[in-house]
Amino acid sequence: MKRPRGALAISLVMWACALIYLYPLFLVVINSLKSFSEIMANVVALPSRLSGENFVNAFTLMRYPNLFLNTLFVTTMGTAGVVLLSSIAGYKLSRTRTRLSWLVFLLCVAPMMIPFHSFMIALVKVARTLHLTNSTWGLGIIYWGLGVPLSLFMYHGFVKTVPKELDDCAFIDGCRPLRAFFQVIFPLLQPVTVSVVVINAMWMWNDFLLPLLILSGAKKSMTLQLAAYNFFGQYKIEWQSAMAGVLLTITPAIIFYLILQRHIIKGMVAGAVKG
Amino acid sequence: MGHARRKARLARGLEFFGMTAPALIAILLFVEIPFLMSITFSFTKWNGLDKAVKFIGLANYTELLTTDPGLGSAMIFTLLFTVIAVAATNVIALLLAVILDADIRGKNVLRAAFYIPNIISLIIIGYVWRFIFSRGFDSFSALTHLGIFQLSWLGDSRMAFASVALVSVWQSIGFYMVIYIAGLQTVPREQLEAAVIDGSGPVSRFFRITLPLIMPSVTVAVFYSLSNALKAFDVIFSLTFGGPGTATTSIALDIYKTAFSDSRFGYGSAKSVVLFLLILTLTVYQLTAFKRREVET
Amino acid sequence: MKRSVLVAAFIVLCAALLTGQGKTLKLFFYSPELTDQYNDMARAYQAQAGVTLDITVQQADYVTLLRAKLNSGDIPDVFMSSAYADNTTYKDYVYDLTNEDFMKLLEPTALTGVTVSGRITGYPFLVQSHSFIYNKKVFSAAGITALPRTVSEYDAAAQKLKARGLQPFATGFKEWWVLPQTAWQVLAPIKDSYGGDYANFVDKLNSGALKFKNIKEMSTVFDVLDLIKKYGGPKPMESDFNDQCSLLATGKAAIIHQGNWAEDTIRKTTPDVDIGYLLGPVGSSPAKAGIMFDSNQTIRVAKDGPNVQDALAWLRWLTTSDYGKKWIPDQIKQLSPIKGAKASSAQLAQATVSLLAAKTPNYSWYYQRFPTGTEQGLGIILQGYCAGQTNRQQTLDALDAAYTKIVNASK
Repeated sequence: MKRPRGALAISLVMWACALIYLYPLFLVVINSLKSFSEIMANVVALPSRLSGENFVNAFTLMRYPNLFLNTLFVTTMGTAGVVLLSSIAGYKLSRTRTRLSWLVFLLCVAPMMIPFHSFMIALVKVARTLHLTNSTWGLGIIYWGLGVPLSLFMYHGFVKTVPKELDDCAFIDGCRPLRAFFQVIFPLLQPVTVSVVVINAMWMWNDFLLPLLILSGAKKSMTLQLAAYNFFGQYKIEWQSAMAGVLLTITPAIIFYLILQRHIIKGMVAGAVKG
Repeated sequence: MGHARRKARLARGLEFFGMTAPALIAILLFVEIPFLMSITFSFTKWNGLDKAVKFIGLANYTELLTTDPGLGSAMIFTLLFTVIAVAATNVIALLLAVILDADIRGKNVLRAAFYIPNIISLIIIGYVWRFIFSRGFDSFSALTHLGIFQLSWLGDSRMAFASVALVSVWQSIGFYMVIYIAGLQTVPREQLEAAVIDGSGPVSRFFRITLPLIMPSVTVAVFYSLSNALKAFDVIFSLTFGGPGTATTSIALDIYKTAFSDSRFGYGSAKSVVLFLLILTLTVYQLTAFKRREVET
Repeated sequence: MKRSVLVAAFIVLCAALLTGQGKTLKLFFYSPELTDQYNDMARAYQAQAGVTLDITVQQADYVTLLRAKLNSGDIPDVFMSSAYADNTTYKDYVYDLTNEDFMKLLEPTALTGVTVSGRITGYPFLVQSHSFIYNKKVFSAAGITALPRTVSEYDAAAQKLKARGLQPFATGFKEWWVLPQTAWQVLAPIKDSYGGDYANFVDKLNSGALKFKNIKEMSTVFDVLDLIKKYGGPKPMESDFNDQCSLLATGKAAIIHQGNWAEDTIRKTTPDVDIGYLLGPVGSSPAKAGIMFDSNQTIRVAKDGPNVQDALAWLRWLTTSDYGKKWIPDQIKQLSPIKGAKASSAQLAQATVSLLAAKTPNYSWYYQRFPTGTEQGLGIILQGYCAGQTNRQQTLDALDAAYTKIVNASK
């Protein structure tokens, strides 16, 4: 389905759109290279000289290596847990056509309709009772509860594209259901898994409010976002450090996304021979 | 015979329980039980701090239904915002997903480009866009002399609505694009290629083949964008804080102000319950309507 | 120099936390612009007393977080809040400081905000002032020699500035909190109608005997807001705190309404800017124009905290030690509540001191006595007025309605 000339035109248009679309990010980048007074004087002007000073500052103030590992741990643990829990449950609920299954499904999906602020204080209380506060482990576990609803919903829908006959093939060997699931069904859900991983990893990496509530007592366990927010006060915002801090925080996420994108292509080429 | 049957049923039940329980338990523990705890506060008069809590029955709900003009205007804003945001976000995200699914140079980078706004922290987005709307637009209007840049995008009540919608859509498109891209991968190439051979154009191919097959994605995306738009808080918080005045105050922001600024925690909880019921009604209706259109392979 | 101090402070704090030597006090503060100063003070205390101060600083979600902590039992040893109405809000959590020896070393005026029925509920942290701040160079360039004190004088000054192509005001109206501090200053002499006592005035508002729509001086409040908006540049509703500070610092705007806390940000843009206070207009009589002066930011000791005696020891050190006495004037560069504290070198702090010495009218931050929760609500209503959403009568009605609701909710 290749149409060289048409594709080129569309390419150019998309690239132009993307550049305009990312203008705000461009502003973050150029302002991370300026000094405070330069930023205050004119936000949209280009920096007069390129200086990495803000990055060094932010890196130190944010205790970057330590907090990077914390954030990585929380994100990995949270995402892995969500993928595991929601794929298995989503699959089972989708295949089981009973009233109970529909009810459980609704219960699992209901949290998507509940605004976070309305239960967050009670959540902190529950977390404290379960000794999950002030630890990255605890935060990761809490993320399971928050991430599963949407991910389970996605798996639930996509399982429909996997023919039921495959279920019987997998389970008929007397294999334990979990093993059968992971060897046969799960690989076929790859597009969804990739999306689930991307969506959850991204929001967990950049989440602010929940880590604030759970980790605020433990300086060693803080995440990158919490450190970046400390540049924002009511009466004084360290713009130069804040912009640098934000870039330091989102760059790993962007790299992760780019790597994962390439995986989709590989997976698609391999998985195209199904049916 | 009956004994074996029962054993099989028990085994199936255990299997069901074993596979769904972990997810359900996590959700109950960390969302639903806290929410139920919060609901009990909706029947109280509590400022969120006092050790003594006073039960007042349904008084909060009566007040909310009768004498709260702020909540009324927040509802109108939220519903209007939702309609526009959901429509715009899904249409544009789907369009992007389709275009970036075709054979284009550097489409991975392009996809990342559109996704990036979704991962920048919302406080930064709020501040950066504030600069763009005020100083940035001043520079643009000096350069281009276009009237659109001279309007007060954040200061005028009606323009502020447009600004909030614009930034919200800008920030969230990448997310839904990811969902649609995943959905597009499940469309069998053979069917599309067959249609090309039959001579049907791209638009017709899209509406006859692609769209019906990706209905599961559409359901997920619309469901999620619908509930997110009804819960809209973060972008508004950082861009306008609901202002000027209360021009861009959504229900969620109104709840936040009630609970944490007015110090009326009980009343705020009652409003949260109402918001939840609103979202529940609209999304379940949407869900059932869309699920009927999904095609099973 | 500053960065190595910071790195040192962080290393020391982390080391102290890790080794767990001696006690650790948990402090929960806001004002992240003072983080450097907090850390330096912690370092000094660690060296002198061997006690580690674990200071968590937040701004945007401070109140939410504090509530979550207090509710879940994760009580910090020391926390921060406003004075006046917050005395009642946190009444179940604060330690009574009335009988502590070091409290006698504080200025009595600084203690008015934290004293309830003779009991002292908090430790005044900073003494601050706010009013209209002006850029002296801009004023002299525009030929303004007499500083305005009445509404009509402000109007005349603004016209002179505009004639020179300058923007007279940077409004700050995008921030809801700028509206109350500006508006209530105009209303400040109201206590004279109530026996010179703000408590009396606020009691009448709380009981419903007095309503905003019956206060005739509110029309002057609206006049001043209108004036600021009229001369506030092309996009007056989009001006925020940063806008105010940077425009004043670069001389593009002549007047802003802010407090001495803003000086730090203003100087970061233009270090040698020459600024001073204008007296806030209260109508047509210049004699009552003055500045707002009070101690509002308050340190509170949690009575259920795990280390109450250590927290008190820290406060004693803060009040009596050499370092403690110099901390606010020299490092924070604001005014200290300690009796006989040295003057700060900050220009606005010095302006405050000399205005007070010259017996200029100074008014306490009486609006902090309004019930907790009204500050933002009333501020947003005033913002709506400035944005043209409500007219004067509707605004007054909205103010009354919001006020009554919150009063009823706290009964």
